[in-house]
Amino acid sequence: MWLVVLACFCAVVARADVSVTASVDRNRVAFGESLTFTITVEGTQNGAQPSIPAVDGLNFNGPSTQTSVSIVNGAMSQSLSLVYQVTPARPGEFTIPAIPVGVGDRTYQTKPIKLTVTQGQVQEDLRQSLFAKVQLNSQQVYLGETVPLNVVLFARANVPLKNVGGFTSDADGLGYKFLQNLKSGANTINGETFNIYMIEGAISPTRAGKLAFGPCAVKAQLAVQSRRRSNGSLFDDSIFEQMFGRVEVREVPVTIDPIPIEVLPLPEDGRPADFTGAVGQWNLEVTAKPTQLAVGDPITLTVKISGNGNIDTVATPQLQGLDGFKTYDPTSKTTKDELSTTGERVFQQVLVPKSTEAKQLPQVRLSYFDPVAKAYKTAVQAPIQLVVKAGSGGTAVLATGAPARPTERLGQDIVYLKGDLGPVTTATCSYSTIAFWVLNVLPVFSLLGLVAWKQRVDRLRGDVAYARRSRAAKHARRMLAEAKSFDQVQHALQSYLGDRLNIPASGITVSIVDEQLEPRGLDGDLAAALKRCFEVCDNARFAGDGNNETEMRATANKVGELIDALEKIHL
Amino acid sequence: MRLRRFIYNFGCACVLSVAFAGAVAASPADELRAANQLYDAGKFSDAIAAYEKVEPKTANLFFNLGNACFREGQIGKAVLNYERARRLSPRDPDILANLKFAQQKLGVDEVNAPPKAWQRFLRSIIDSRTPSEWSAFELAGIWLTVLAIGLAIWLRRARTALLVVSAAAFAWLAASAAALSYHVIDERTAPKAITLAKETEARFAPLPDSTVHFKLGEGTAVSIKEDRGEWLFIERADGQQGWVRRDAVERIGVE
Repeated sequence: MWLVVLACFCAVVARADVSVTASVDRNRVAFGESLTFTITVEGTQNGAQPSIPAVDGLNFNGPSTQTSVSIVNGAMSQSLSLVYQVTPARPGEFTIPAIPVGVGDRTYQTKPIKLTVTQGQVQEDLRQSLFAKVQLNSQQVYLGETVPLNVVLFARANVPLKNVGGFTSDADGLGYKFLQNLKSGANTINGETFNIYMIEGAISPTRAGKLAFGPCAVKAQLAVQSRRRSNGSLFDDSIFEQMFGRVEVREVPVTIDPIPIEVLPLPEDGRPADFTGAVGQWNLEVTAKPTQLAVGDPITLTVKISGNGNIDTVATPQLQGLDGFKTYDPTSKTTKDELSTTGERVFQQVLVPKSTEAKQLPQVRLSYFDPVAKAYKTAVQAPIQLVVKAGSGGTAVLATGAPARPTERLGQDIVYLKGDLGPVTTATCSYSTIAFWVLNVLPVFSLLGLVAWKQRVDRLRGDVAYARRSRAAKHARRMLAEAKSFDQVQHALQSYLGDRLNIPASGITVSIVDEQLEPRGLDGDLAAALKRCFEVCDNARFAGDGNNETEMRATANKVGELIDALEKIHL
Repeated sequence: MRLRRFIYNFGCACVLSVAFAGAVAASPADELRAANQLYDAGKFSDAIAAYEKVEPKTANLFFNLGNACFREGQIGKAVLNYERARRLSPRDPDILANLKFAQQKLGVDEVNAPPKAWQRFLRSIIDSRTPSEWSAFELAGIWLTVLAIGLAIWLRRARTALLVVSAAAFAWLAASAAALSYHVIDERTAPKAITLAKETEARFAPLPDSTVHFKLGEGTAVSIKEDRGEWLFIERADGQQGWVRRDAVERIGVE
């Protein structure tokens, strides 16, 4: 039951806010291309599908239906969009007529939309895709008044504005300033959707007279989708075009013609005597703390002025009738928006009552010119009553309740003596000692040694011949020391020669002396000694004399001597 | 027998003399305390004499000596001793405060500072450490550099990080070595001195009757560029050069 009531209520509410519009994504199109025609029903989703009247030369496909519902701050809004793809059958000028759309028991009419279908590629004049206007509420402003002045760029939906490369304006005497950040949105003009970009600014004229804003020049950088010519191929499809079409950034200058602005001087009639030039719509708040105090205690009087206008035109309010107070210079703090269209200024002044006769703070007045009412106004705050009691008789000093401190004398005398000798140091020491230089040189040599060692290790790992040659003698001597038979002695000799020559040790026989050692420069005595060692070992091994340990040790010693001799020569 | 008695007597005499000397000779700390008492009693000239006798000379001793000179009205000499104290203890706030105060008292604080901001900045960094401290930094820098390079050679996985460390350590080494070199070279080629007279005339030539180029107030810091016995060729912090009499200035370095 409640749901039915709610649905009826929504339907009634929705019907009251229904609107129907029609739009195209562009109204200039090349023959062979298609465009999108959209009928939007705002306020309901129950619109009947309209009957599209036949237009000679235009083919309508669709519609596809899109709906949306949104609830903002408890208010529900809904819409229905009917999207048609329109394909021209020939070049020419066309008009999509007003289309009746039935919503409930009512029929709404869309506005007619004109289309131009050109033969061949559209020579899109980007200047037509972008134009600018100046938004100014009134072309009559008062001297000192701050008025918002916005420059709005309109870019067609298919020509998105990428950036604004530069903005210059001639606004002599107008005190024009603008914000760098663009505000963006969308708007429909004559059935065509435009993206809008706003350069927010404001003028604050500095002289009266007939002035002009502009001309202005905006360098708009547009991202232009370059479209391919239709050739009827498989890939001649808008999706493919969107996917593969190139995007170019083109800088398009846009010029805005001058707009006359009349700057009126502030009227003389009715100007208050205490008017100091404040222009705007201002509120005045005055507070004082404390209001119950003793003679000599400070009161902080706070005057807050806020509102619309250029806060810089507001001067410090002059307080009259402060004879019973000792006064200090007021301080002020100003906050305002970037364009100085609104602002707030807080003045604080410290007052100290000299006697109990100071019973009230004087009224605070602010006279200003209201450009909206076109008249002078005066904001007045009534006097603030005080209760001042007799003080302790001390002099009135600016204080915030902190107890009086004895006067400090900083920087007026030298620091007192040191009680001890402190560490015994000398100005020159370590750099003139031998230890300092040794400690400096030592790491350098250590590093050099480390590098050399690292190179040797790397070579031992990577160069097999070098590694075998390096360890040959040591390895052979160890084998000789451990040898217990002629066989092991000969094996040690074979191992040494194999390592020295980087050949397999197992196949080395006495013939290596003639075949490899003598050709490499081994002298005759050493060659003969080597041969003898091989022969002795062979004889012992094969003739059964291998058990004579004394002879074996003598041979091992001889081999050791030979290795020592061979280590001294380059093979 | 006689020899044994002689050795015994000689040993006793040595022991007694050492003990007596120890009992009589005051320690440096005692001497400092005695000098401080003279200072507290307002006997500043006596305190100066007492401080000057104390050995070894430490930063605190020079500081107290500077205070005594200041109280005695020898503010140029006070500046000299504060500078000596600052060399030994360059970051002691008491020393820096009294040095600045004494220079301000004489109106030479601006004159003694290098004229350009970057020079003052560099000078403040260099003077913030003693040569010994810069030496220690330099040694730490070189060892750390070598250690990082050595590890980078061996530890391939951490090579990039170690090379960054070694680069930072090398930068540290270079900065420390530069500061140390500045200390050493500056002191050897142009030792610093302080003018002690109320007014010192810097002349164009090392002659008594030569033209006066400019005048130096008491407590002005100068660099001695050339020593010709009776005359010294000096340079003020702002680059002004002239000849002054030797007795008009006293070197800060006491070694």
